Amino acid sequence: MDLPTLISILQSGLALGVLYALMAFGLAIVWTTLGIFNFAHGAFIAAGAYLAWQFGNAAAFGLGYWAGAVLAVAAMFVIGAVVQLLLVRPFERHRDIVLLTVITTLAGATIITNLLNVIWGPRMKQIEPALDGEIVFGLVHMRSQEAVMIAVVAVTLFALGWFLLRTPLGRSMRAVAQNREAAQLMGLDVRLLYALTFGLAAAVAGLAGVFIGSIRFMSPTMGDDPLQKALVVVILGGVARFTSSVYAAFAVGIIEAFSTYFVGLYWTPAVLFGLMILVLIVKPEGLFGRRQRSV
Amino acid sequence: MRYDPPFHRTNGLRPAVAILAILIGLPFVVVDPYTRHLLVLSFIFATVAASWDLSLGFGGLFNFAHGALFAVGLYTFALTVKFLGLSPWLAIALGGIAAMAAAALIALPVLRLDGIYVILVTIAVAQLLYQVTVSQSKWTGGTSGIVSLPALRIAGYSFIRDGKIGYYYAALLLLVMATAFLYLLIRSSLGRAIVGLRDHKYFAIARGVSEARTRLLTLVASALFTGMAGAFYGSYVRVASPDVFGLGFLTLILSILLVGGVATLWGPIASAFVMTFLSEAIVSLGPWREIIMGVVIVLVVSFYPGGLWAAIQELRERLDVLRTGVMAAWRRRTERAARIARMGGAEEVMMQTPHGAIAVSDTGGNKPPILFLHGNSACKEAFAKQFAALRDEFRLVAFDLPGHGVSDNGDPETSYNVIAYAEVAEAVIAARGLHRPVVFGWSLGGYVGLELAARARAPLAGLAICGTSPLAVVPDDFAAGYDASSHLILASKQYFTRAEAAAYAGSATAPRSAESLYLHHNLPRTDGRARAYMMTKLPVVNWPRQMRMLREGKLPFAIIDGADDPFLNHNYLLELCRSAGWSHPLINIPKGKHAPFFNTPEAFDTVFVAFCRRALAAAEEREPAAATRSARPQP
Repeated sequence: MDLPTLISILQSGLALGVLYALMAFGLAIVWTTLGIFNFAHGAFIAAGAYLAWQFGNAAAFGLGYWAGAVLAVAAMFVIGAVVQLLLVRPFERHRDIVLLTVITTLAGATIITNLLNVIWGPRMKQIEPALDGEIVFGLVHMRSQEAVMIAVVAVTLFALGWFLLRTPLGRSMRAVAQNREAAQLMGLDVRLLYALTFGLAAAVAGLAGVFIGSIRFMSPTMGDDPLQKALVVVILGGVARFTSSVYAAFAVGIIEAFSTYFVGLYWTPAVLFGLMILVLIVKPEGLFGRRQRSV
Repeated sequence: MRYDPPFHRTNGLRPAVAILAILIGLPFVVVDPYTRHLLVLSFIFATVAASWDLSLGFGGLFNFAHGALFAVGLYTFALTVKFLGLSPWLAIALGGIAAMAAAALIALPVLRLDGIYVILVTIAVAQLLYQVTVSQSKWTGGTSGIVSLPALRIAGYSFIRDGKIGYYYAALLLLVMATAFLYLLIRSSLGRAIVGLRDHKYFAIARGVSEARTRLLTLVASALFTGMAGAFYGSYVRVASPDVFGLGFLTLILSILLVGGVATLWGPIASAFVMTFLSEAIVSLGPWREIIMGVVIVLVVSFYPGGLWAAIQELRERLDVLRTGVMAAWRRRTERAARIARMGGAEEVMMQTPHGAIAVSDTGGNKPPILFLHGNSACKEAFAKQFAALRDEFRLVAFDLPGHGVSDNGDPETSYNVIAYAEVAEAVIAARGLHRPVVFGWSLGGYVGLELAARARAPLAGLAICGTSPLAVVPDDFAAGYDASSHLILASKQYFTRAEAAAYAGSATAPRSAESLYLHHNLPRTDGRARAYMMTKLPVVNWPRQMRMLREGKLPFAIIDGADDPFLNHNYLLELCRSAGWSHPLINIPKGKHAPFFNTPEAFDTVFVAFCRRALAAAEEREPAAATRSARPQP
């Protein structure tokens, strides 16, 4: 393997990694905070892409790429909060909350995916990228859209980190995730924070959808594959800290890039899932996780 | 304690046989191949959903690779018939075995994990299997699958002919076999271990249940008929497509399971038909069909989590309440004369209480009163022999508890418990103007008597109980105070079969004979909810207060049991009577059974009358009756 190949593998791994970090963030934060697994996460990604297309594309409202993206993210925040209200909140104190919310979010995913199909039709669409062309930087050749994506995701992730670690609202969210009862005793509005968490997760998923929609084709089921990737990332990383799934996302991106080069496109998903099962057997709390109470 | 009649002796036999007969006869009525096709699919999906219920419902193991087990069966069938030229019949059996092997592999990571992690790892395993299947397109045809699989045939007769009639019966046979397998498994010791691990993991482990072994067996057992159903599905649709790995198929089976009712064997089977036909009925709606199915799932989970099976149970309960209510009203009018004759001419009146209309028998007269309280699923006429023998000396009063005899059915939440029964007794004492009665409580009535005395709202002259173990700690003393037998299970069983009704009435009073026939005749009228709720609401009673009342010893009290009472733990009663601070006699009537006043009336009456005279004399001494009786107006 020569240097340019290695660089191009690493570069593609990096691009995948930022995308995966964005996809996995929502899944991980919902899991840590609400203790549930949101199967509608993939549908959120697809919905974000379609909304951005609707707002931004010249064929629809034509507000432009960035306005479309911002509006889509805002709309996804509201949709996420509503989904939490309808599909998760009724079971908040239920003994079988894990199974019940798996069922309701699966049903929610079916509903959202088919609504997308009803509204926009099954035909493939694509969001026009913000920038065309390529950036050349030494040995690195990169599509401009990809560079924009990496930059935006990096800013987003830092902003989210700052939000969760430094702002009162973000700290409240983490407090609720750590100990619901104690947080409630401190006067935090747990139900509101749950809804905000779900909304934030959906908004970030929507942003991931915007990027996926501008580098690949969109279809109502476009969220299925990202959901699986996010699942792998979250399992591999664990949910102990906000950063653990970010590290895991880059690890998975780079593993996938190498695996695609060495064992081929077909076997790569099998490699990832095999790795995930291995991690679950050996270290169920994740590679970067700490041992915690069983869920 | 275990009470487990075989299936052919349960209430389920008749509906099961009836439905099976209908399903066997259906193809003669339904000749349309499309409807038959839907029925075959229903049979297959019912098999898969019921098998999944074993791990997900009964075991609480969220195995989301269940669809993959079906796919393993399907692909095993397709690969072995296509490339090895195996007989399709053999390949179906092999499909089941391959799915069991796959389940054993899935069990490996599951053994160490709990809750959400089980869901995640099983999804990952399913995806792994899917990816491997799709990547081996040389063998599996990739995403387009394996096509033109051979159909099933016996001696050259293809099952597709005559409107798929062969497939119909083969699928039905598969479902029946799977149901029988699961039914027997759930009731076996393994089945109990599976449910025990779900309900109280550490207690089950402490009782010697191996978690790892049980989980492994649960998954493997749930795979057997799932894999066979997958293989059969392959022989039926004659295509092995990787779609069955996907979330769509999983959601379909999950919706069948949920709408039917989790952890009920019959619910998913019933709902497989409903959901298959429902989803076919709205197939023309395109994507809206999926949306409607999703909304149905959310609505069922949110508002009716018991599912279809709970609805069936509710309907059954309503029908049974209607039956017992009509029976009581009918007998109240038509058999009145016979009852009055049986009670030696004692007047029968209906009186209103907060717990419904209550039938009271009263011999009347200005004599010292005795109030009789009957037992579970009996009636006031159980004391007919005493009404005949003791009426010259005493005023005898008995009444039917709510939901019993010819009294009204009560509200199960409020009227079917020991406290409510004591309230009814107080209402009877007040309404009939019974001044300081001696109370005799038999079995359940014994607890009512104890509660009545402990409440101390109606002054009593004395209390005698029979066939009742006084309790301090519930449920521990309940288990200690009785000999564990099926009788105790029947005492709280809502629906009796004929055999159970005969056994219960026979052991509680007397085996069926000309003399005891009326008691056997009375029993089916009892509201089944009275049994079920009485037992579940035992904890609401203040049991220590009863025991304190007995230890204080102010009220004349006696335990008059049959020496051969098969249900009492006589040692428990002996210990109780020997314990410190106990001053009351324990009298055993030789050869007496659970109802000595009915089985050996002469011996009982001698002892009982002596007790009553003693108690009344003591009451007279404390507080002369003449003075107080004149102060109270007679109703």
